[in-house]
Amino acid sequence: MNLLDGPADTFNYMVLGFGVILGCITIFIASLALRFRNLRRELEIYQTIEMEEVEDSKP
Amino acid sequence: MEAMPKALKVLNWLTSALFLIALGLSLFYAPREAVMGDVQRVFYFHVAAGWVGALAFLVAAVAGALLLIRREQRWDGVALASVEIGVVFTCINIVSGSIWARPIWNTWWTWDPRLVTATIMELIYLAYLMLRQGVEDPDRRARFAAVYGILGFLTVPLTFLSIRIFRTIHPVVVGSGDPTATGAFDMSPRMRVAFFFSLFTFTFVYVTLLWHRLRLHKLSQKLDMVKMKLLSA
Repeated sequence: MNLLDGPADTFNYMVLGFGVILGCITIFIASLALRFRNLRRELEIYQTIEMEEVEDSKP
Repeated sequence: MEAMPKALKVLNWLTSALFLIALGLSLFYAPREAVMGDVQRVFYFHVAAGWVGALAFLVAAVAGALLLIRREQRWDGVALASVEIGVVFTCINIVSGSIWARPIWNTWWTWDPRLVTATIMELIYLAYLMLRQGVEDPDRRARFAAVYGILGFLTVPLTFLSIRIFRTIHPVVVGSGDPTATGAFDMSPRMRVAFFFSLFTFTFVYVTLLWHRLRLHKLSQKLDMVKMKLLSA
């Protein structure tokens, strides 16, 4: 890089850099949301089973 | 599972707003660096991501120490949540640094002390997440993870100090007294605003993500309890 030429043209690398940063954060947030939803669904299923078992055990 | 607390909803909005402002400051407010050009703007988020990684590993070590002292399982959840966030942000730090290095150092990767120590730190905490899976007993797993988290934290000051201890081409931007460091630059007042605002914002991002991750952990524990109850019935 020659100082007399002015700033280097690194615009594409900047776009790539911010793309990776924002992409990683978005993927992590999406993974949290997805895991939360899956756990909630699973919990609902188990709670339904639990309720059914309680009702079945009634005379 | 109870609904999202109002404070967390407020924090979500506040963090999102701060993040957009930090992005705007980095892209439009901070001037283009005289030699490196636009890619230098990545630096604001690159350092902030590294800061979140270090903070997250520090919180994990403190949580580990509290677990060993007080024998309270809830600290294990805090450590796990914090390490997970730390691993993600350290990964962002390493990859964004590599993207910056390509036009500035003319290489994606070099065996520089800072890059090597940061990667070792990342691998040690990835191993933390993987090794946890291998221990069945929750009490043993928590104790093991606590000790590992405390010992693993030694890599954080080593990574931070590596550019001050060893010969390196990595810039020492904060507290730099070495003008020969390749890629080093002095920050103008506008650059400082973008830099410190990004650090401030990413701290909020960490706290918000930690809160969400802890809620996930609580839900997972609740599910385990229901499963155990069904199995024992």
